[in-house]
This record gives sequence, structure tokens and C-alpha cells, in this order.
Amino acid sequence: MTLLEFQSLSQDEQVTILYCQGIYIGKKKNKKYTKLLYQLESFYVEVFYSSYRRIIHKIIVSNSTTILDPYLEQIKLEYFVT
Amino acid sequence: MSNPVTPRNVVFYADDDADDLELVQDAFARYANNVEVVTSKDGAQALAYLQSLQEGASIPCLIILDINMPLMNGREVLKKIKLMPRLDSIPVVLFSTSSSPQDQEFAIKYNAGLVTKPLHVSQMEMITDLFIEHCSDEIRRNISKHSR
Repeated sequence: MTLLEFQSLSQDEQVTILYCQGIYIGKKKNKKYTKLLYQLESFYVEVFYSSYRRIIHKIIVSNSTTILDPYLEQIKLEYFVT
Repeated sequence: MSNPVTPRNVVFYADDDADDLELVQDAFARYANNVEVVTSKDGAQALAYLQSLQEGASIPCLIILDINMPLMNGREVLKKIKLMPRLDSIPVVLFSTSSSPQDQEFAIKYNAGLVTKPLHVSQMEMITDLFIEHCSDEIRRNISKHSR
């Protein structure tokens, strides 16, 4: 699946695909949102919750590794070791 | 007429993520008549609780372990459980943010279930059912009989 194909799906479909195929990278919290970052094939998906796992505010998709920056401290090296 | 005594089944759940602890406790609320969820915030605390269960004390009918926990991760706790004669036959489910092939192999090796954490609470009912499916037949019948 490409980034564009993923973006064309409904939010429910996106959530289902992420649940089945997404690789969890990390979790971040700020005053407004709890965010989960997943890798899906060659791109990244960040889920913003206004109420954790209950209300999704938005889902953003990126193929840039800069989206990883806030999560770097949580990323375990073992995931990169084959 | 007095209410019939409802058997209590303990589900033990260890996870360092307070949000996920709350989510699972909420999910089991529909079984509240006969399921009690006991929680722990890290692997070492989980192991200490399980080791503290005295002979004759009721033991959990199901153990749910987050894989990534501080002090002792879920894999290590599972290995220790399998060395404890009183607890080694309790069904265990590893609860993970996403399941890697390594997690799947590990779960199979140690005869545990592997369930991925939900992205949305709407998936939680299905996941709770997956948890219950790992309980023994007797416990499952008991839980379903009292939960509807």
C-alpha cells in the first residue's frame, strides 16, 4: 500500500489497517493530544487522540523520517537489527 | 431471597502504561459480576505479586502481560511463570503494541497468546473476547453465563 492509497481510505479503514499491519514506534503526550506513531510499509502514520484510544482527532501520514524525531528516545535498536 | 453467590475470577494484568491499564479495566467492566482485574505497573511488581500467592489462595484464571515494561519485561515474567509449578498452567497472553515475528515465535515457544493493543476503543470488545478465549473451558462457561 502506498501513502496515497492509505490517505484515500476512511478513518475506520485506516485504523483497521494500522491495527493489523502497523509497526508501533512510540507514544507522546502533550497538553492537548496523546500521539501514537506507527510505521506502515515505507511511510509513517501518526494518530492524534484527544481522548486516548477513544477519540481520534486526526491521522497524519508522512514519508519523511523527521516525523521520528520526537520519538527517537523510545525507539529500540533491536527493531533495526535483522 | 438472597442473591446467588457469584464466583470471582481474577484476571491479572501487568502494564506500565496507565492509559492502557485503564482501557483494559474498562473493557472488563462488562464482566464485573464475576471478573476482577488485578493490575501491576511493571514486570518486577507483577512477578512479586504472583510469587506472593500462597498455597490455597485463589490464583488468576488469566495473566495478561505487556511485553515492554520497565524493570522486567513481559517476556522475562512469562519465562519465570513457566518455572513456577503452581502457575505454569495459567493461560498467559502477551499484550503488545504491535506484533513482530520475534514476538510471535516467542509466544508460540512459551505457549502464550499474543494480542495487539487496539488503536481504538471500538476494537476493545473484540480484544476482551480474545482474552477470555484463552481462559479454560470451565472459566469461559462461567464468565459467559454471568455476563449476559
